[in-house]
Amino acid sequence: MSLLWLRVAVFLYGTAALAVVPAALYDRPRWRHLAIPVAVLAVLFHFVSLTETLNAAHHSFPVDTHETQSVLGLLFALAFLLVYWRYRTFALGIFLLPLAFLLGLLPAFRPGLETANIPGLQSGWLFLHIALLLAAYAALFVSLVASVLYLIQERRLKSKSLSTATIKLPPLATIDSIALKSLLIGFPCMTAGLLIGSLLAQISYGAAYFGDPKILLAFAMWLAYIGMIYIRRHSGLRGRRAVYLSSFVFMVILCVWAANQFSVVHRFPTP
Amino acid sequence: MSENLVLLGINHNTAPIEVRERLAIPAGRLADATRSLSSVAGIREGLILSTCNRVELLTVQEGSPSENPDLLRFLHEYFAVPTATIRPHLYEFREREAVRHLFRVASSLDSMVVGEPQILGQVKESYTVARDVGAASTSLDRLLQSAFSVAKKIRTETQIGSNSVSIASVAVDLARKIFGSLSGKVVLLVGAGKMSELAVRHLIGHGASHLILANRTKARADDIASRFSGAAGKVEVIPFDALYDNAARADIVITSTGSPEHIFSRAQGVQFMQRRRARPMFFIDIAVPRDVDPKMNEVEGCFVYDIDDLQQVAQGNQADRNREAAAAEKIIADEVARYQQRLRTLDAVPAILALQQNAEEVRQAELTRTAKALAGMTPDQREAVEALTKSLTNKLLHPQIVALRKSAE
Repeated sequence: MSLLWLRVAVFLYGTAALAVVPAALYDRPRWRHLAIPVAVLAVLFHFVSLTETLNAAHHSFPVDTHETQSVLGLLFALAFLLVYWRYRTFALGIFLLPLAFLLGLLPAFRPGLETANIPGLQSGWLFLHIALLLAAYAALFVSLVASVLYLIQERRLKSKSLSTATIKLPPLATIDSIALKSLLIGFPCMTAGLLIGSLLAQISYGAAYFGDPKILLAFAMWLAYIGMIYIRRHSGLRGRRAVYLSSFVFMVILCVWAANQFSVVHRFPTP
Repeated sequence: MSENLVLLGINHNTAPIEVRERLAIPAGRLADATRSLSSVAGIREGLILSTCNRVELLTVQEGSPSENPDLLRFLHEYFAVPTATIRPHLYEFREREAVRHLFRVASSLDSMVVGEPQILGQVKESYTVARDVGAASTSLDRLLQSAFSVAKKIRTETQIGSNSVSIASVAVDLARKIFGSLSGKVVLLVGAGKMSELAVRHLIGHGASHLILANRTKARADDIASRFSGAAGKVEVIPFDALYDNAARADIVITSTGSPEHIFSRAQGVQFMQRRRARPMFFIDIAVPRDVDPKMNEVEGCFVYDIDDLQQVAQGNQADRNREAAAAEKIIADEVARYQQRLRTLDAVPAILALQQNAEEVRQAELTRTAKALAGMTPDQREAVEALTKSLTNKLLHPQIVALRKSAE
C-alpha cells in the first residue's frame, strides 16, 4: 500500500512542479491556487506512505539510497511549503518541487532492497539520525538555491533589466533571509543528527568507528557548516561569494553521502 | 505675419545622460543663460527649458529662416561642449511643429514618465525667468499662456496624470525589490528638488520611517525637515560635511544636488558596504549631472539608478496609459490648429485697424465740414447724428473686415 501512496504523491509532486513555474515567474493567480493545495496533498500522501513503510519495517529499517532519497524529497517539499507559509514566495518551488518529484520517482517504481537489520538497534533513533541529517542537507540545499536566486535577482537589479523581463522574483532581502534562516535551522538538525549517529555507532561498533572515512568526513562537514554560518553572519556575505561558499559546503555533503561506498558503518547487507 | 518660431534641443529620447549632464543649467544660472541667448543677434525673444531630461532653446527670430542665428553655436560656446558631441542628438522644430512640441512638453506627453506633474512647473519657471530678464515678450507670452492652458485642459480632460507612474513610484518599486518591506528603512536625501522630495514622500508613504537630510544650505534642509516632520517617524538634519560619516546608515540614498562633480565615488561605495557589513544600499540619483559615480553600481550590494535607468523601468509600466496619451495627443492637435488660426487672425489685425482708423478720420472730417449746418441742433439731436454716422461707417466697413478676417484664416 505504501508504494501506491508514494506513487500518488510523486504524481502530485509532478503536477505541483509544473504549476509552480507560471505561479512563481509570472505571478499567474490560477496556477498559484493550484500549486499549493497540490503540494500539500503530495506531502500528505508521501507522509502516509512513509509511516506505513516505517510501521512495516520494525527492525528491518529501509536504508537503501532510494528510500533516503524519497525522504529527502519529502523534506524538500516541506521546505517549499514552509518558505511559502513564511514568505509567500513560490520561487524556491521551481527548484524544490521538481527535485521532490525526481527523488520520489525511483523509490516509487523501483524500491530498494537494502535494510539495516542491526540487532539491538533502536529503529526510532536510527530514523531520527537519518531524518535529522537529511533535514540538514535539505536546509543547506534550500540555502544554496536561495543564494543562487539572490545572485540572479542581484544581477537583474544591477543590469536594470527589470522592465523588459516579466519574470518576478522575491525581493533581495527576502531571499537573503531565506538563505540565512535555512542555514540556522539546518545547523541544530545536523548537530543532533551527528550526535545520535555517534552514540548509535558507539553502541554498535565501539571506538573503531572514529576511523571510518564517512564519519571523519561528516565531522569535516559539520565544521564547514559552522564556518559558513559564522562567515555569513559576521561578514554579511551575500551574492556571488555566498553561492561559492554554499556550493563548497554542498560538495562536502555530496562527498559525505558518496562515502557510503567506503564506509564500514554505513554498509548494509542486501537480503 | 509668421512668427519665425524655432525650438532646438536635446532630450532623454535623443541624448544619453552623459550628453545631457554636460548641457544642464543649474537653476542659479538659468537667468544668465537666458540673457545670453536673447542677446544673440537675430533673436527677438528667447526662453531656455533645462530639466533633468531636456535642454531646449525656444526662440522667436527676426529675418528670414535663411539668416537664422546659429543656436548650435550658442550651445557650443555657452557650455564649451564640442558641436560634434551635441549635433547627433539635436532636434529642431519650427513654427507649427515647435508649437506642437512645446504643448506636448508642457502637458507631460514628452516626459520621461508620461503624465508626471513636475514638468509644467518647470516650464513655468523657465518662462518666469525669461520674463524677468526681458527675454520673453508678446510672442512667447502668447505661446506660453496657450501652452499652460492646453496642459491644464489635458490634465482635466484625460486621466493621464491620475495614476501617474512617476519616477517616485518607480523608485519605490525598485526599493521594494531590494528591501522587500520598506518599514523602518532609513532614507538619506542629499540636496533638494521637487522630484526627490516626491520620492521621499512616496518612500515614507510605504513605511520608511527615518529621514536624514543633508544640504549645503542648512536653512534649506531645515525647511524640508519641517515639511516632513509630521510624516516621517524621525527627521534628522546633518551638516553637509558629515555626509560621508552618516551615509552608511542609510538604506536608500536620494541625491539631487546641483554639484558638477560626483558626490559619491566607487571607493566610497566600497567603504559604505564594509561599514554596513554588506547590507544592500540603493542610490537614486535624480541629479543631472549625476551625483553618484555610475561605477558604484559595480560594488557588490550597491544599486545605483540614475534618471535614465528609472525611465527604462518606468517605460515598462506605461503601456496601459497609451489610451489616455492618445486622447491627449488629439487635444494637442486641435489646440495647435486653434493657436495657428489665432496667429493668422492676428496677422489681419493691423489691416483692420488701419481701415477702421481711416473711416473714423473721414467721419470726423465730414462732421467738421458740416458743423455750421448742424450748429442749431440740440445736444440730443447732435448725439443722434454722431450715432448715425458711426453706425453708417461700421455697417459700410463690416463686409470688408469680415473679408479680411476670412482671408487671414
